Amino acid sequence: MSEAALRERIKELVVQCLFLDVEPSSINDGDNLMEVHGVDSVNLFEIVVALEEDYGISFADEDFDVETFSTVGSIAELVERKQAEDGR
Amino acid sequence: MEFESGGFTLRGVVHRPVQEPPVAGIVFVHPFAEEKKSSYRVFVEMARAAADAGCGVLRFDFRGCGDSEGLFEEAGPEAWRGDLRRAFSLAKETFGAPRMGLLGLRLGAALAAELAEEELELAFLLLWEPVAEGERYLSLTMRRSMLRRKLTEHEGGEALAEEEEEEAGEVDFDGYLVPAEIQRQIAEIDLLAESKAYPGPTLVLNLSGRSKVAPAVEKLASRYVSGEAQAVRQEPIWSTVGLVDATPTITASLEWLRKTLGLRLP
Repeated sequence: MSEAALRERIKELVVQCLFLDVEPSSINDGDNLMEVHGVDSVNLFEIVVALEEDYGISFADEDFDVETFSTVGSIAELVERKQAEDGR
Repeated sequence: MEFESGGFTLRGVVHRPVQEPPVAGIVFVHPFAEEKKSSYRVFVEMARAAADAGCGVLRFDFRGCGDSEGLFEEAGPEAWRGDLRRAFSLAKETFGAPRMGLLGLRLGAALAAELAEEELELAFLLLWEPVAEGERYLSLTMRRSMLRRKLTEHEGGEALAEEEEEEAGEVDFDGYLVPAEIQRQIAEIDLLAESKAYPGPTLVLNLSGRSKVAPAVEKLASRYVSGEAQAVRQEPIWSTVGLVDATPTITASLEWLRKTLGLRLP
């Protein structure tokens, strides 16, 4: 999956898990999800679980850093890193 | 109502339909710890809707939970299985309904699914976002707590004494300190391990923002002879702070009951 496609998929998950009534494409890669879209620990967790299911990856405890999950761009970087670690 | 189970007085609420006897009786099985508190109102709304549709409903609290006697830290799934058997038996007597069912949420759904394997008089089974694998449930719940803690710390909140809890073998489930023994009992739950003997109609609802059924839910439904999985677009009613509109979940459940049991819809 290309980097752009990954980011679009993450935006779709954000819209689904937050029950947002916006087009995924309206979310900017650098938007702070907590400040701009009201992501809290409950729906951030839903996003984490969805990413693990969709991409067959497992986040480690040390991955759970607020900054890492703050934007679509930073989440995409983490997913790519986890996929590389798993040899995907 | 009050009843005895294992030397403890358990307390619950009975919802009766206008017309007696009920066309069916349903025992509601609540989830674990903070998830029970979050979903309390949804259970009330579902019970009232089911009563309007002609069902009798028993909502009750396991020992160590809610209004029932006992200490939370001394209870757990092993004790609650006995509580549920007792509640189901009592509900059969209370309602005198031709069909009896179970409706459970999260860990409550797991306990309902377990009882279904041995309860010959069970006519239908509704599982709302069931905990299919206890170990994964523990892992996810601890991670969610950690995520919440980190967000709270990030916002300037007070950090929890995590190390002290770990030393005692307890873990923090959103404010509930869960002893190692309860963790062990939860970890033993595995609904996916083998095919289910329960032959009756079974609905497994996957409650999330996603439009497709999660693989684990699909797998669980396929374990049943008459299992059906549905994805319902629903906020997590078990972990959301504040009131949640559970209309999608209640509507899907009532529609399935109507189709399965021939109930009238409210």
